Amino acid sequence: MTDTHVASPPKGAAAPEPGGPARNPALARAALLLLRGRTLVVLVLLVVFFSAISSEYLTQSNLILMTKHVAINAILAIGVTFVILTGGIDLSVGSIAGLAGMVSGGLLFKGLNVPGGTVFFSVAVVILIGIVVGALVGAVNGLVITRFKVAPFIATLGMLYVARGLAQLHSNGGTYPDLAGDPSRGNTGFHFIGVDSVLGIPVAVWIMVLVAIAAVVVTTRTPFGRRIFAVGGNERAAILAGIRVNRVKIAVYVISGACAALAGLLLTSELGAAYPDTATTYELNAIAAAVLGGTALSGGRGTIIGTVMGAFVIGFLSDGLVLVGVSTFWQSVVKGAVIVFAVITEQAQQRLQSGLAKHTA
Amino acid sequence: MLRRSLIAIGAASVLALAACGGGDDKSDSSGGGSTAAASKLIVIITPSPDNVFFKAEQDAAAAQAKKLGYETLVLSHDDDPTKQSQEIDTAISRKAAAIILDNAGADASVAAIQRAKDAKIPTFLVDREINKTGVAVAQIVSNNAQGAGLGGTEFAKLMGNKGEYAELTGKATDTNAGVRSQGYHGVLDQYPDLKMVAQQSANWDQAEALQKTQTILQAHPNIKGIIAGNDTMALGAFAAVQAAKKNIIVVGFDGSPDVVSSILKDGIKATVLQPAGKISEMAVDQADAYLKNGKADQPEKQSVDCVLVNPDNAKSVTNFAVATS
Repeated sequence: MTDTHVASPPKGAAAPEPGGPARNPALARAALLLLRGRTLVVLVLLVVFFSAISSEYLTQSNLILMTKHVAINAILAIGVTFVILTGGIDLSVGSIAGLAGMVSGGLLFKGLNVPGGTVFFSVAVVILIGIVVGALVGAVNGLVITRFKVAPFIATLGMLYVARGLAQLHSNGGTYPDLAGDPSRGNTGFHFIGVDSVLGIPVAVWIMVLVAIAAVVVTTRTPFGRRIFAVGGNERAAILAGIRVNRVKIAVYVISGACAALAGLLLTSELGAAYPDTATTYELNAIAAAVLGGTALSGGRGTIIGTVMGAFVIGFLSDGLVLVGVSTFWQSVVKGAVIVFAVITEQAQQRLQSGLAKHTA
Repeated sequence: MLRRSLIAIGAASVLALAACGGGDDKSDSSGGGSTAAASKLIVIITPSPDNVFFKAEQDAAAAQAKKLGYETLVLSHDDDPTKQSQEIDTAISRKAAAIILDNAGADASVAAIQRAKDAKIPTFLVDREINKTGVAVAQIVSNNAQGAGLGGTEFAKLMGNKGEYAELTGKATDTNAGVRSQGYHGVLDQYPDLKMVAQQSANWDQAEALQKTQTILQAHPNIKGIIAGNDTMALGAFAAVQAAKKNIIVVGFDGSPDVVSSILKDGIKATVLQPAGKISEMAVDQADAYLKNGKADQPEKQSVDCVLVNPDNAKSVTNFAVATS
């Protein structure tokens, strides 16, 4: 018993190669394909399952609604994927989303106090400020991790508390209840990103699509993308290859912070109110989506598309459970089980892959 | 390294000694009810002030204590019994005169409150009860069952006693979530034509209530009303209703300023006001009386009635209190 990767294929089904770990390469390849596409498989199974139970599940309006719910987590998860690809982790994204929501909400609700009065900014500027705040918090994460050699888990765990505390300090714990703005201040229209639709598709979904496309291009088509994978695959080798590893790391935390802020703004816009607890524990959903989508927590392996698919699985699953009226407790149990199951299949895929690699070598 | 930590420990010890030097002899010698009379510190511990309700509760208690000449220390346990226990230890080590507590769990809080009692510090509970008597000096709560009855009755009236509705419940581990839901159903279940088609917990959270309501509206497009276990969830549900451009009756519980202003704008239809400020003030007044007389002047279990808020009286509501006219 040297290797036990393949789920014992029937002997002689296809030309068995002697001594190789994968005794049936054709079957193993098929299994591998299935495992690689497992997020899609799970998603299809979910849709089939829930539409069998509820006729309301597979309707156009419900699909649009579920996709809108997915959008927030997908955007968070895309940012986190950048970090995880370098071998890091970002636990602070939920808090950053909350902080960005509070900063923007505050600017819309009560403006910015400057010497000589209160200034109100247009919605576009407010959104920009929110995203910049997220990016800055991300930059602090990156600097703490690279300059002070703090483990990403610790640094971003610290930021989870710091950013949440800042969000609470921002309003002294209160809620900014009305973000509609005032025509006389020229700051109306914040609901556009979270509530409105364009061509029948919610703006939040369009934003998710744009973020996803940009992220796919950056990770697969640019030198920066290749550096991310290099840093995550083997940091030592990346340094020796002349990659400025610290710069890459800071950049991914900035991206993660900016994505988190964007997600926070969408959520705040949809609610029409900003409260400091916004997006509490969302970091876990985001990491779960990345892991479900096949991103390895050890770094160097994963795709943006996989992460987006992972977010769809989580969102379609939890909305489906609510739709058919399953209790909150079971929702948690099922979600957790699906995540662990995904990691198990991820491990199976890795073993199969390395088995096949040995086999062809 | 070792030397540095020794110095640090030494310094901390000196500070600690200096801090408790003053009151030592007094609190050791006296034995009766009003031992800690030397201290003028009232420690106020509540859940997170993120929720305006607890903020109002904290602020009212602190203001009343200051008015009566006490110092205050305001802490938040974030609904974590462990954190609450540590904060009660802080109160004990600071030799507080009394503790005003909105506790983090009906069973999980008993031991910590007993510890305060053993240290001769009286605890006055507000807003939530514990499952034991004789430990705290007073348990002053708003009558959630009565309040939910009011909310349920108003909701049934608004619905015309018929039609489909959904319920959003609070965090299942919180006693009040269950009490309110039972109170609602005590009324609503009497009407055979009122049909609950969905019941989900949104964990008191606004964003969760928004998303769950959206999904519930998908599954049950004919819903006429949503009754929520608190106001933050009612606000989330109402945001979903607005986004769906539907005309659905939403009723909450708490009487928070945001919901009151929504009622005035013909958004949310009604809420049940818990007199948070009044309860806090009562607790501080009773603590003051207890410290002066050495005994409680009220029975331990006290309940304060809730008030229905709808468009008729919403104008006179400010900061969890209805102005009496």
